Amino acid sequence: MMWRSFSADWLKIRGKGLWFLVFLGPIGLLAMQGLNFGIRYDYLTKQYHSDLWGGLLDNVANFVPVALYLGGTLICSLMANVEHQTSSWKQLLALPISRTAVFMSKLLLCLLLVAVSCLLLSVGTVGLGYLLGFGDQPVPYAKVMQIGFASYAAALPVISLQLWLSLSSRNQTLPVSCGITLSLGSLFSASLSEWFPLSWPIMAWSAPRPWLFSGAGLMLGLLLLLPGALHFARKDVN
Amino acid sequence: MKETVIETRDLVKEYRGRAAVEHLNLNIGKGEIYGFLGPNGAGKTTTIRMLLGLIKPTSGSIEIFGQGLRRNKLQILRKVGSLVESPSYYGHLSALDNLEAIRRILDVPKSRIAEVLDIVSLTGEEKRPVKGFSLGMKQRLGIAAALLGSPELLILDEPTNGLDPSGIQEIRSLIKRLPVEEGITVLVSSHLLSEIEQMAGTVGIIRSGQMVYQDTIAHLQQQAAGDLRIAVSEPEEALILAGRRGCSGTLQEGRITLPRMSDARVALLIKELVENGHAIYRIEEHRQSLEEFFLQVVEGGQSL
Repeated sequence: MMWRSFSADWLKIRGKGLWFLVFLGPIGLLAMQGLNFGIRYDYLTKQYHSDLWGGLLDNVANFVPVALYLGGTLICSLMANVEHQTSSWKQLLALPISRTAVFMSKLLLCLLLVAVSCLLLSVGTVGLGYLLGFGDQPVPYAKVMQIGFASYAAALPVISLQLWLSLSSRNQTLPVSCGITLSLGSLFSASLSEWFPLSWPIMAWSAPRPWLFSGAGLMLGLLLLLPGALHFARKDVN
Repeated sequence: MKETVIETRDLVKEYRGRAAVEHLNLNIGKGEIYGFLGPNGAGKTTTIRMLLGLIKPTSGSIEIFGQGLRRNKLQILRKVGSLVESPSYYGHLSALDNLEAIRRILDVPKSRIAEVLDIVSLTGEEKRPVKGFSLGMKQRLGIAAALLGSPELLILDEPTNGLDPSGIQEIRSLIKRLPVEEGITVLVSSHLLSEIEQMAGTVGIIRSGQMVYQDTIAHLQQQAAGDLRIAVSEPEEALILAGRRGCSGTLQEGRITLPRMSDARVALLIKELVENGHAIYRIEEHRQSLEEFFLQVVEGGQSL
């Protein structure tokens, strides 16, 4: 049942700028680092000469959490808006499909779109490295995958929250401003306690045991889905 | 007794202590066109949303196709098509994609899309984005979407709202055709009596959340039918005479007011009156229009 809803959702997001956003995120981040390394090429390659790939990845990783939070927020909001805009909820939820299936299908779509972004970032980073002539040193593939996906898992709590907020309120001001506040907050999160979920995406890159934070994010994200899905399944549709 | 498709018992919906629907008992038989009539804000849409499981009743029960809605929601909704208030559509998609998005959830064959487009005569327009459609076309697309799953019950909330006369005519004839051709039961709501009168066989009138009238249109027309008023020289005596002949009436503004009766009885009564020396000045039939009757019911003047 969820797959039927998913394939309908897949069709509905066509032409709504979601795919544009999916590409914009990673390409924007890479363009920024391309510029950074392009302008200060000699200085930076000297600084990182022993581990050129590590230097590049570190620079990209600084901006991954904020991009994830912002991207997740906007994807959730745009996706929910497809239904909010012409109040299609009443039509959709009067169809013979369970609300849980509808919620899960939206979640799946959102996760998939962000995953495409992360994959693009990983692939693009390797591309950028080669472009900058780092090809002499071996590509650290594990690290390359970690840059997108470890932080992604750690960002799940915020994505769960955003999905819930976006789906439940017709007015998207609240979820979007909440998401932007969290994204900005994450810029300073490195200095926050590691117990604070907002700092997990950056910890999932820089901490000594990064997988701990990815795992914690995954768990908390799933936990936060429960109240969201329950609320969505029970609420009155007006 | 016909098979019942929708039955609600003591349905109540409260919003913050204010009742939008109070103890509503709907009863809709199979193959009927049921007109759900009431002024704006009477609780029609609230009731319809409850029937579709979009909102939860505060108390009371709903049975559709003889099954409880709460327990068997998905099974019931499989056989129900709906159009609630303003048309729902995805403006950036073409009519075809709009229907395809719904088809994927309903899991019906692709050929069904062309069929429903044909039923609502949108064939030829299906490739255009829906945001460029006129309101009438959007409404027809909404009906096409409702018909997509070949429902046994169609619930249409104000389907002719905001349409021009020819659009109203088109949708009306479409709705009238459905029960005959496909055996579909239709629940159609409106705030216009004339609208319902031309489509429905049975009518339920709702006023501030309460059902005030539920019967056939024919019966409603009978109720609204007028009375006979006779102006005579000695009204009191004439009234007594008429009463003795089995026509009990009342005296209003110096005139005898009698309920409607057959032509033969009228003739007999007049003959009696004349023979008993009453001068008859005027005999008139006072017809209350259905519209007046409706207003009387809706404005709380009388309960039936």
